[in-house]
Amino acid sequence: MSDGGPGPRFPERAGAALKDAYLQEALTIATTKFIGLRRESFSGFAQGEALRDRARAIKEATLQQLDRHLERLADSIESLGGHVHWAATGDEAREIILRLCRDRGVRMAVKSKSMATEEIELNEALERAGIRPVETDLGEYIIQLAHEKPSHIIAPAIHKTKGQVAELFSKELHGAFEADPEVLTAVARKELRQKFLEADMGITGANFAVAETGTVVLVTNEGNGRMVTSLPRIHVAVMGMEKVIPSMTDLMVFLAILARSATGQKLSSYTTLVRGPRQPGEMEGPEEFHLILMDNGRTRQIAGPLREALYCLRCGACLNVCPVYRQVGGHAYGHTYPGPIGILLTAMLKGNESVKDLAHASSLCGACKDVCPVRIDIPRMLIELREHLDSEKIAPWPERMVFGLARRIMTRPAMFRLGATLGRIAQRPFVRQGRLGALPLFFGKWTRTRDLPPVAARTFSERWKELDRS
Amino acid sequence: MTTRADFLAAIRLEMGKTRGLFEAATSPRPAEPRGAAEAVRRQMAERWPEALERFREEFERVAGVFHRAPSLDAVPGLVLQIAREREARRILSWAPEALGLDLRPSLGAEGLHVTIAPDSDPAAEARARHREEAAEAEVGVTGVDWALAETGTVILVSGRGRPGSTSLLPATHVAVFDRDRLLESLEQVGIILEALHADAARSMSGAVISFITGPSRTADIELTLTRGVHGPKEVHAIFVDRP
Repeated sequence: MSDGGPGPRFPERAGAALKDAYLQEALTIATTKFIGLRRESFSGFAQGEALRDRARAIKEATLQQLDRHLERLADSIESLGGHVHWAATGDEAREIILRLCRDRGVRMAVKSKSMATEEIELNEALERAGIRPVETDLGEYIIQLAHEKPSHIIAPAIHKTKGQVAELFSKELHGAFEADPEVLTAVARKELRQKFLEADMGITGANFAVAETGTVVLVTNEGNGRMVTSLPRIHVAVMGMEKVIPSMTDLMVFLAILARSATGQKLSSYTTLVRGPRQPGEMEGPEEFHLILMDNGRTRQIAGPLREALYCLRCGACLNVCPVYRQVGGHAYGHTYPGPIGILLTAMLKGNESVKDLAHASSLCGACKDVCPVRIDIPRMLIELREHLDSEKIAPWPERMVFGLARRIMTRPAMFRLGATLGRIAQRPFVRQGRLGALPLFFGKWTRTRDLPPVAARTFSERWKELDRS
Repeated sequence: MTTRADFLAAIRLEMGKTRGLFEAATSPRPAEPRGAAEAVRRQMAERWPEALERFREEFERVAGVFHRAPSLDAVPGLVLQIAREREARRILSWAPEALGLDLRPSLGAEGLHVTIAPDSDPAAEARARHREEAAEAEVGVTGVDWALAETGTVILVSGRGRPGSTSLLPATHVAVFDRDRLLESLEQVGIILEALHADAARSMSGAVISFITGPSRTADIELTLTRGVHGPKEVHAIFVDRP
């Protein structure tokens, strides 16, 4: 991925996505379907709105005592015989896992879907160290075989056709498989079942961690989360520190809205609550349990402008409704987290510089805020981010110059009147059917994809004065 | 290497700079979890028939197959029928102490191979052997700790004689429960789990709690719903009228 590297910028990636006819169709079908499922599941759910308010309050209240809850979580896990690691950076989180692998002779690790491990690009690091990471979520497995990246938080392979998957499986797994989802799923089941039983380590993320009880909670539909946490001899969970919640009572509030927001289910097929390593008397479970609590840029937002983004549950609802995401898909964003929330999370993890293009990849329509289960005000933070890009001179100079000029004109009545007069004259050659459809020089970038309303023949204040006289 | 103290100090430093976005509180927890759980049980002793109806409706909505047995004695017959229809020969079951029922005599007599999870503290070899058996089994029979009506979910707590793999590795999962197991809402589940963890003896146990809502599913290839990707392809629930 072109993260921070010299690869193509957002406009080029987005342009390529817009020309990809299959991607366009797949995105429309997938996002429209998810929107419908979500709407349906909330429409017959009277408590839904109140639960969303509760969930939001729990996230905020937890942040207000984050240190205490993390301490409680760590103590609970340690009292169960688990190990807790504290990783200030993504590098450190990766190092901890690599060291565990080396010390314990791990050759293969099975993984259940985890954005936190995508965030630290763990698979690449494991491969470099000679350890084989095997993604077990079907979508993730497909894109791992194809050496690609997820394009959607909860449906990572929506950009691939069944024909492409059949071709991929036939080549990588040495067979001749029909382009039928049922057949392909059965192939993956057989292939991955063996991996679950052979792997030395299971690596997961965490949807939640309950401080009071030391419980790590995984929500999946396929059941791979259960396999990964119970079959290998070591379980490592990697989690952004903001995923901690205080109690089981709080957990139920989140469970009631998470699956509804993500896939429109009342609950996902499997919600798995695991606590530490195998206890005496248990038939299964890992000999060792490790929880890695990861900061990686989160702490500086506790009092920062992106604090609210720390509420995010990673449900993907904001992706589906976003008019930009729906057009360009996840890859165009160029970072681990796509969509409206992804812009904010990328800024959080990698700094504002990394989103100087992406900060504008939003129409600020507010659909994301409306569907967010914890009502994160994404548009507000995007606007603040743009302001920051401007004040820190990260935004390109022509943009800053034009908007700086506009501000000066608009805040001075005499200048504004003069500007209107000059504008009326200057725009004459470009007005077609009452619209400004094509401007010269670099202004043309604006009008390439949209029209601009021309300066009116008479301004509002001019008309107001006339009305006053009559 | 970041230590716990460093990590938390960095967080405290930032926390000191802000009072947060708005005044907020976490969920009020039951002051007396065991008493609250008892109250839930009393409620459900009255309301179980409605909860059972709702459970059935929601369970079927997530592609579960619902059965009703007049008594525990009728359960082996139903399991046999399910196994026969799927041409399954290898049955995996929770220990009789955990399930309330020994399937070996009845199903063994019908030529099925029944593996029972050991109820004792299992040694490493016993665990490895059981895992191999579990991986081969075609039907897994478990009890249920709570059946959640609101979502059609069966909730299973792992432990002695009740391994999680029974409900995970075989292609067909059969869950057996009675009226005492029924709950209406996630809120009630919260109360019950608070009570479970408030119990000093059990709070130290690392039990895995699995919420199972229908069969394993995926829609990762062209959004086509496909069942049985890693876990069971089918989930059956047998409600026993007279335990």
